[in-house]
Amino acid sequence: MSSYGYQKTLRAINFICNAPQAQAVSLVGDFNNWNPSSHPMKQMPDRSWLVTIELKHGHHRYAFLVDGVLTLDPRAQGITRNDKNERVSLVPVS
Amino acid sequence: MKKPTAANANPRPTRAARDRAPSGKIHPVIIYPFKHAGHFEDLESLYQMVARLAADKSRYARPLTVVDRKTHYQLERDQAFERFRNQVMAKHSDIIDAWCVDTCQMWYTGLGRAFESGGENDIYWLIPGDFNYGTAVGQEVLGRLHDLPEIIEELDQDLCIGEIATDHNNSKQHIDTYGTFALLYNWFPDEAQEIRQFTERPRSEFFAIRHGFLREVLTHRWYPYEQTVVMLLLAVLNKKRISRFDVGHISDLPTGRDLLPSAMQQVERTERVVKSLWRERHHTNPDWLSQYRHLEVQSDQVRRTALGILQNLLA
Repeated sequence: MSSYGYQKTLRAINFICNAPQAQAVSLVGDFNNWNPSSHPMKQMPDRSWLVTIELKHGHHRYAFLVDGVLTLDPRAQGITRNDKNERVSLVPVS
Repeated sequence: MKKPTAANANPRPTRAARDRAPSGKIHPVIIYPFKHAGHFEDLESLYQMVARLAADKSRYARPLTVVDRKTHYQLERDQAFERFRNQVMAKHSDIIDAWCVDTCQMWYTGLGRAFESGGENDIYWLIPGDFNYGTAVGQEVLGRLHDLPEIIEELDQDLCIGEIATDHNNSKQHIDTYGTFALLYNWFPDEAQEIRQFTERPRSEFFAIRHGFLREVLTHRWYPYEQTVVMLLLAVLNKKRISRFDVGHISDLPTGRDLLPSAMQQVERTERVVKSLWRERHHTNPDWLSQYRHLEVQSDQVRRTALGILQNLLA
């Protein structure tokens, strides 16, 4: 696939986690092999946490790791389970 | 979180789904509304989507439309219906005319026919016809429905339930809160908790199902009503992979809305179904009858309470 074609398949997606008291929040999912250190989230002035990542088209499983605790996104468009049978969130990218 | 969903009703498959090995086909099964809405705006919108599915022969099997014969005879002198049937439905789908006791038997007929022409890697996608697809939000929902079979395909799931958004005072919500889930908690408490972790709509008419799991539910006793509840219970009991996906704010058409007698009937049917399923799974246990009698007494209380609450809320 050409680099141009590859770029066309990516979409920037904002993930927002409302955990004002948390010390550290990261985004984990299929796209980073559920690695807690791949996508740390940044706390915003309103104390919510934000990260923007580019995802390819399709359906992606993800969750927030809030102070080490796997947490569903209450605003996610779907729910499924990951390979460890934990409930996780679902985001479509079209 | 930003929701990057399509804003139009074009069911373009995601690139990931397209790039995946084209090992199976998606079989759309449309359930024609039992009662006619008096106009065709919603069905016109739905069949615009069906036309696009029918045109994509590499990805979709020929869509099927199931029409109950009672609906047919109610409308047989309706020229607008005849025109729509012949020029739209028949053009973009194969029509199955069947005598059905209820919508779930229409599902059985349509999914069964699709299954017989399908293969091991195929996916079956149920699309109810009696929703307001002609509205702006209906168009948005039409643009999301294709996610259901794609989630099955991409994430290797067995069952994907589409959940519609309703407010807390919607009759469907009341029926499920005070009737469906209360009865499930009585007869299948562990499984009910698992189901509710995924969906608040255990009677949803929007779903997609993988070939292997469809074979299991088709060959299991099929109930003429509340079949989604049965499928969800079987999915949990048999450790299937379940997903839920929000399809948006859409409501069924006024002719199909749940007034009190209909709500009462739905609760009574759910009780009958879960009782029957419980008996099927436990009748070989030595003490099943005493357990059953105990649960039946509780179930009677649950049903009476649910009907009392529904009477207060819907009458």
